Amino acid sequence: MNFNFINLQPYSNPQYFIYLMIALIPIILGLYFGHRFKTYEAIFSIVFLFLIFDGSHWQQGVNLLIWLVYEFILTFAYQYYRHHGKNKTWVFSLAVILAIIPLAAVKYLTAFPDNSIGFVIGFLGISYVTFKTVQVIMEMRDGAIKKVDPVTYARFLLFFPTISSGPIDRYRRFKKDYEKVPTRDAYITDLQYAVRYLFQGFLYKFVIGWFFGTYWLPKITASALVVGNANGGLKLSWWVLAYMYCYSMYLFFDFAGYSLFAVSISYFMGIHTPMNFNKPFISKNIKDFWNRWHMTLSFWFRDYIYMRFSFFAMKKKLFKNRIRLSQVSYFLLFLIQGFWHGLTWYYIVYGIFHASAICINDMWLRFKGKHKKQIPSNKFTEWFAIFLTFNVVCFSFLIFSGFLSQLWFGWK
Amino acid sequence: MDTKQGVLDILNDLTGEDLSDQMDENIFDNGLMDSMASVQMLLSLQEKFDIDVPVSEFKRAEWDTPNKIVAKVESLENE
Amino acid sequence: MSNKRRLWQIFGPVICAFILLLVVFLIPWERTFSKQTIYEAAASQNTTVFKGSTMKQEAFDDGYVPFYGSSELSRFDPLHPSVIAEKYHRNYRPFLLGGPGSQSLAQFLGMQGTAKQLKNKKAVVIISPQWFTKKGQDPNAFALYYSPLQACNFLLSAKNNKTDRYAAKRLLEMPDVKGEIKNSLQQIAEGKKLTTFQKFYLNNRRRMLSNEDNFFSAFQLRDRVNKIQKKAKVLPSAYSVKALNKVAAEQAAMHTNSNNLGIDNTFYRTRLPKKVLKRLKGSQRNFDYVHSVEYGDFQLMLEQFAKQHTNVLFIIPPINGKWMKYTGLSEKMYQESVAKIEHQLVNQGFENVVDLSKRGNEKYFMEDTIHLGWKGWVAVDQAVKPFMELPNRRYNYYMSNYYYSKKWQNKDDVKSVDLTNKNSLKAK
Repeated sequence: MNFNFINLQPYSNPQYFIYLMIALIPIILGLYFGHRFKTYEAIFSIVFLFLIFDGSHWQQGVNLLIWLVYEFILTFAYQYYRHHGKNKTWVFSLAVILAIIPLAAVKYLTAFPDNSIGFVIGFLGISYVTFKTVQVIMEMRDGAIKKVDPVTYARFLLFFPTISSGPIDRYRRFKKDYEKVPTRDAYITDLQYAVRYLFQGFLYKFVIGWFFGTYWLPKITASALVVGNANGGLKLSWWVLAYMYCYSMYLFFDFAGYSLFAVSISYFMGIHTPMNFNKPFISKNIKDFWNRWHMTLSFWFRDYIYMRFSFFAMKKKLFKNRIRLSQVSYFLLFLIQGFWHGLTWYYIVYGIFHASAICINDMWLRFKGKHKKQIPSNKFTEWFAIFLTFNVVCFSFLIFSGFLSQLWFGWK
Repeated sequence: MDTKQGVLDILNDLTGEDLSDQMDENIFDNGLMDSMASVQMLLSLQEKFDIDVPVSEFKRAEWDTPNKIVAKVESLENE
Repeated sequence: MSNKRRLWQIFGPVICAFILLLVVFLIPWERTFSKQTIYEAAASQNTTVFKGSTMKQEAFDDGYVPFYGSSELSRFDPLHPSVIAEKYHRNYRPFLLGGPGSQSLAQFLGMQGTAKQLKNKKAVVIISPQWFTKKGQDPNAFALYYSPLQACNFLLSAKNNKTDRYAAKRLLEMPDVKGEIKNSLQQIAEGKKLTTFQKFYLNNRRRMLSNEDNFFSAFQLRDRVNKIQKKAKVLPSAYSVKALNKVAAEQAAMHTNSNNLGIDNTFYRTRLPKKVLKRLKGSQRNFDYVHSVEYGDFQLMLEQFAKQHTNVLFIIPPINGKWMKYTGLSEKMYQESVAKIEHQLVNQGFENVVDLSKRGNEKYFMEDTIHLGWKGWVAVDQAVKPFMELPNRRYNYYMSNYYYSKKWQNKDDVKSVDLTNKNSLKAK
């Protein structure tokens, strides 16, 4: 018998939203009348997860299950250890390394597509669930999380609206929402946001993002390649600039749209998944930008890498100079982020570029602090700062896009 | 020791400004503090007040004005 | 504010928006495309245009002639039919329909919306024996060309006859056919009538899809107009076959100098890197184009032409001779399949058949492995030019359901037809 699996990749087409909305109705009615149907939610989540990982994606589904068992064993082994009152640094480090190993292996293996491995590795969203696990282990170390409840933990890791590309929620925050039923008034407000975010998401991803990414970008790419190859040398042309802006807009609207969907569906379920973007293109400087762009990721990096590393380094007095320490921490953070995006030159250059930009920005802020009187500050300088930041950011996205690699070396 | 004065001393040390007249100013929004400075602040608070603040417990929104910091420190001292 | 009121404020606009959307999509919108848009669409080989109706309908009313084919249509050298028609101000312009992987079944479905416009008119078909593999239409490629709009058109005009039952049966074998369309095809395949609900559903679905076609089919056209105009400059200003062949030889010599297989340099570089090339050596020894369900699907196309009384020119291309030797494809088998195709055509009254299948060894006839180019396009034009000069009139054919049978699909040793003697063909 020819058995056709229905396979639904999250938020990819109108049908997905129709199925999703129908499946959400009992949850919405439940929350409105003051009940959270946890069993129904679980079944509903499993069905939609199954729809992501069935059919031709079944191998990814198997990988997800293996990963889940592995991380569960790890987390609860570490919890057992902590419950016995022990808190050795090497055990903690080992736990974190073990938690990251699957993700690192996937990143490493996918970097070499030529060494074709006989099986599918990784699964959609492995990065995001790994970040969640690492976060839980780190907070157990600090004693901020005393006890992880297995069911809530599974629900947290597999929370399907965010499984594929975030936003990255925090365990304690999620647990708080998941365990309570909002008041009717609060829930109506949730619905109000849910609907607004949903439609904003449609506008971003399917209209604006579509124009930039599907309509204009291929045309610009083709022109940039043709004109560039004709020019020779560094193969630059005005088209590359057009590509830079177009790609940046596409990246934002596509990803912000996607994140809005995830947040919207979470709100329908009475879970306040944090927002991922906050008008990033009006940032006054690079630091400000990272507080507005892909916020859950950059906050994750800030809280679990940058702050922890600098806390550790400062406590151990590894650096005499605070400025030097902050610079080292920035490079560490952005290099890790670059490697996480993939083992290709342009992701790593992207990381170095942002680390440098933020260090320069810090220098400027220090300089400005010392010479407050001489440096003018008015509407014009504010706009200039926004303009400059915008262009620096867009340039970094040009690096990130890999287009330069395609232009210069013919591969991406 | 007066908690408020202690906190203000630490902040003065970090930002180079006396914040006693802007106790409800958001010190992250106006650029006086950043992540690095907050790490340093946590360390200094630990030394000065003998309290334990793990990084996990540091949520920016709960520490973003001098008044909030003072309140936080006081609550941790009484634990 | 009461909760009810708040809920209404949240969901009211959403409900209104959906109702509005439904209304907009169900109103029968009319639109016409600009000449420029149609001109772009005609050369674009865009799948949206292929799947749509309105653009094709307007084009065929306005002097465009459909050129049904597959990947060879994208070989845009200066001798391409679209370039020649432009350069010499012909009274027709080709409207290219098809691309990689579009075979008879996809073409048959794509033809549904334009029956009226092609009535008593002309069409050109480049029919490649490569289509005639054992399983016929590749289901993955079909997905690219499958048009629910045309499926609705087909279903709403389907009758209980062999052709429509056969077509429904074949379409059901394609994995992209889903939902109520699938159920309706099931009915037709079993010789049953559509239910009232199905008719209602299909009519509304068709209206929505056709509005979608109206609104969006002019988007994302591949703009080849510049390309055509640039290539046209290379051609001699006065038309002569000799001069065209000269240009063809010059162009081809320039573009095939990287290899000794007579394959376009870019194609050779990108599609046949060493690894692939090595793998392909001798790999087609067992290819078989003689036994194929495609003969049945091809009959669907012919039946559609017969229904429209369209005058059709069929062109059968060869394979690059050197490539054929390299891959080990059997010339004998190839000619057998050509004979079978010609038999099916001529015996039902399709007399305009141009058989180029034996000319694969002529230098610069092919652009690459299996696709016509340069001198091959000149040969095509030698057939197209006189064909287009004929007046339009109603053509009648003598169709036979025998060509749907398994017996015909698997038949060997079909005698080749003598195409040169038109009178003997007429006598039949």
